[in-house]
Amino acid sequence: MPLLAKTFAQLGIEEGRVRLDWVSASEGDRFAKLVNEMTEQVRKLGPFSRNGGGKDG
Amino acid sequence: MAKLKVALYWAASCGGCEIAQLQIGTKILKLVEAADIVFWPVAIDVKYKDVEAMADKSIDVTLFNGAIRNSEQEHIAKMLRAKSKALIAYGACAYEGGIPGLGNLFNRQMIFERVYRETPSTDNNGNIMPQPKTTVPEGELTIPEFYDTVRTLRQTVPVDYFIPGCPPEEKTTWLALDALISGKLPPAGTVISHSNKAVCEECERKRNVKKVSKFYRTFEIIPEAETCLLEQGLLCAGLATRGGCGALCPQANMPCTGCYGPVQGVIDQGAHFLSAVASVIDASSVADVKKVIEDIRDPAGTFYRYSLPDSLLRRARV
Repeated sequence: MPLLAKTFAQLGIEEGRVRLDWVSASEGDRFAKLVNEMTEQVRKLGPFSRNGGGKDG
Repeated sequence: MAKLKVALYWAASCGGCEIAQLQIGTKILKLVEAADIVFWPVAIDVKYKDVEAMADKSIDVTLFNGAIRNSEQEHIAKMLRAKSKALIAYGACAYEGGIPGLGNLFNRQMIFERVYRETPSTDNNGNIMPQPKTTVPEGELTIPEFYDTVRTLRQTVPVDYFIPGCPPEEKTTWLALDALISGKLPPAGTVISHSNKAVCEECERKRNVKKVSKFYRTFEIIPEAETCLLEQGLLCAGLATRGGCGALCPQANMPCTGCYGPVQGVIDQGAHFLSAVASVIDASSVADVKKVIEDIRDPAGTFYRYSLPDSLLRRARV
């Protein structure tokens, strides 16, 4: 993951957009909590555009 | 049998593929026996308007090298696609973007700023930058539009075959030309090479257990001749790169840089290389991992050296 994060930083993808976690089928509450947290985090970052600002690509 | 009509073109390219096409040496006599070269800007004085005048599909084969990064290259790619029965992406740039593809870590404005203003040896007090249109006393001058994003040939027009390499090795080039001359072409869309597997299969170095706790840049160590380069801490792309070149670079003590493109079945070569490197890192905590990867200075450039435009993300967000 650190290697992926470092590569993404170069490619302009903010750290908050990627998350790796493990949840078991019996941890329903924890799953809901993680998804809500992630949703808020990404919402704050705004929409993802493949080329922030460029006309093509 | 009528001679084949062959065209060759160079887009965003270094010229190395033009030289590579000549590397077939005396076999060029076999090619010339079988084919007429109808368009080859580097060597023959045929003009764009002559190509425009050709009937659609009247060229049997076009070998197109170089990526698409401006409007002229896009225009000629589309023209040659219409005029050719078979369009072949020759070399890493046409196939997956190549080195020019690293321009996708930036955009036009950043590149122009750097080239025409920021470089230490540039003196441009007038802030003069290239313009698509300029009026001079004699009239209006135009130059092609420089795009923000480098594209591969396949992202611009449909492509029939791919010949990988930067540049393709002589035997890879001949594998394709021989198939053309004899009419025994593989299925459309094939990447033409002697191997569909990783370079490791062709590499003679011995492989043991891979546990790397320190990475080195190529000038920092002199590797042992017999052992796998990745095991010695060099970022060798061989395990994520198609073979067919004979693993020439590892033979010369240099790690593979990935120029033959992804192994058969892999969509994103950089992601493949990244996960392979991550899997050999010998570290027991996240802190240790972070220390080890400090030595990988430029992951995006190392993993996607030739394949950035062809990757899933295609370009960086700037």
